[in-house]
Amino acid sequence: MRYLLSLFIVLSLAAVTMAGYRETFEREFLSKPWAGGPIVEKSACIECHTSDIMKPAFRAIPDEWQGSWHALNGVSCNDCHGGDPKDASMSMSHVRGFVGKPKYEGVPAYCGKCHIGILKNYLESGHGKALKATKKGPNCVTCHGSHGIQRATIDIINEQLCTKCHSYERAKVMKQALFLTEKKMGEIEKDLKALKSEGIFTGDDEKTLFSTQAEFRALFHTVDVSLVKDRTDEFTKRLEGIEKNVQKTFAELKVRKNFSAFLTLIFAGLAVVVAMLSATYKD
Amino acid sequence: MWKKIKDWIELRIGLDELVRTQLREYRVPKNINIFYTLGFVAVVAYVIQALTGFFLLVYYVPQSEHAFRSVQDIMTKVPYGWLFRQMHVVGSNLMVIVLILHLLAVLFMGSYKKPRELTWTSGGLMLATVFLFCLSGFLLPWSQLSYWATTIVTTMPTAFPYVGDFVANILRGGDYISGSTLNRFFALHVALLPPILVTLIGFHLFLIRRIGISSSPFGEAIEEAEPWVGYRHEQYQGQPFFPHFFLKEIFMCMVYFVVMFFFITFMPTFFVPDDANIQADPLRTPTHIRPEWYFLAPYQMLKLIPNKFLGISVQVIFVTVFLLWPFIDTKEKKNILKRPFLLGVILCCLALWTVLTIWGRY
Repeated sequence: MRYLLSLFIVLSLAAVTMAGYRETFEREFLSKPWAGGPIVEKSACIECHTSDIMKPAFRAIPDEWQGSWHALNGVSCNDCHGGDPKDASMSMSHVRGFVGKPKYEGVPAYCGKCHIGILKNYLESGHGKALKATKKGPNCVTCHGSHGIQRATIDIINEQLCTKCHSYERAKVMKQALFLTEKKMGEIEKDLKALKSEGIFTGDDEKTLFSTQAEFRALFHTVDVSLVKDRTDEFTKRLEGIEKNVQKTFAELKVRKNFSAFLTLIFAGLAVVVAMLSATYKD
Repeated sequence: MWKKIKDWIELRIGLDELVRTQLREYRVPKNINIFYTLGFVAVVAYVIQALTGFFLLVYYVPQSEHAFRSVQDIMTKVPYGWLFRQMHVVGSNLMVIVLILHLLAVLFMGSYKKPRELTWTSGGLMLATVFLFCLSGFLLPWSQLSYWATTIVTTMPTAFPYVGDFVANILRGGDYISGSTLNRFFALHVALLPPILVTLIGFHLFLIRRIGISSSPFGEAIEEAEPWVGYRHEQYQGQPFFPHFFLKEIFMCMVYFVVMFFFITFMPTFFVPDDANIQADPLRTPTHIRPEWYFLAPYQMLKLIPNKFLGISVQVIFVTVFLLWPFIDTKEKKNILKRPFLLGVILCCLALWTVLTIWGRY
């Protein structure tokens, strides 16, 4: 015992003499997100925008972005605004592709760099045409917001937002046309998540759902109710295909559950039999 | 025909004599209790792991690009693949629980005392090997959970100055977890650790049979009365090993299976959280990622002790004391209830381990 105690004291003394090592370790170990610390996006954009030299309105941007759908999907400042977030001196350099804030009428092209299908339909829509003609029509930010952008849902079509520009009646008809398909897509998404949590491969169905969702939502951006109604059947058929696979997998999971429940009972029964048999062998 | 085969075997192996002397005439102490069956349950648990592991090995692809998908395919497409994988996953956790219970039973019943010090130490080494099995196996599905939990565990050795980084690099095959780490862990899991564990099990069982099973300090009078001055095989006048005690062991194995299939049926995702179903992404660190429950206590301890070298040193001392415990506690008295100080220390250690585990979890 005394040898261990001595060893402990020696190690403790060694630990004290190695105080400098502590800082290194804390930097390397405890500063990591998985050690309990927060995830900090190291970028010149964020460092500058959170500093005191920035205007209060601009200082709120990093926080808005942190909670956005873009942040959740790894879309960072430079993905939209260009520039070099790793080099503070070149972060706003046009040589590194910095474009900064677009003009109001330039927003659709700005977002359309990634959301290509939506841009096409938007430009052909009443919304897009109004923007082009008057430079005052609704652009992407009008409905979706900018830095704090959230995942789009059907609820984005609401009286408060739409009546900023026109009566709600037209928007309401569109919302009704979208409702059932959107509802089905939401349900399938939830089911796929449930299957995935059971370790099931859902990649193919997820891809089909994603492309269906993207196409359907791109179609909505035409704001053409009759077009949406005409093509709803086509989307419904695709969704039914996914739903069929999902239901088949759920049925399979039920069979599995019954089988393992059966095995539980078998072994419980065997345990009882063995216990009874064991009781007959007392001494 | 059957008799002919039996006679043929009997002539060459002497099976009847073997069964008579090693099973029927082999006697265990009268006051033996149900906790004595846990060692056998642990061996059965390992056999299940080996068999289900072999099945998984047929379909698993040990490459970082394909590993995750191959596990999903086992769960989705391979007939009964889900059953074998679930048995392997649930079984690995249950095996650790059984081993910890076995260890506690041995500790509380003083079964590690002279002349069984080597039995304890080999058991401790087996537990360490099982932890290595868990660590190496955990990375294999190549999920976000396994990737980042392994990152945490392989970072722990860096608390050692000078050699820490070297050890971590040897484990990972580089500075970060990568395909090289997967290859190393896979080789460790399926090729190196199984023969080590089987050897240790063999040695452990050899010692138990050679010295004789230890009697319990609780219940009826202890038969093991003579002092251990030289080698002897402990003989008891208690119950026969077969079928009396063997049936108790089989009963506990059935209970083990019931618990395992209960989890598979009613709580299939209990040991497989959501992050375990997302492919590993080295560029995206999930929040709130933690190591497996059995590594939470050392992980939390490392986070709490301000000097990390001291933190890791304390852990090394704990492990050393644990492995050499029979050589430290040399008093002959086996009944822990008559040693309140030791009982208090052990209970404090257990409480500390529980608190650190829960703290590490939340």
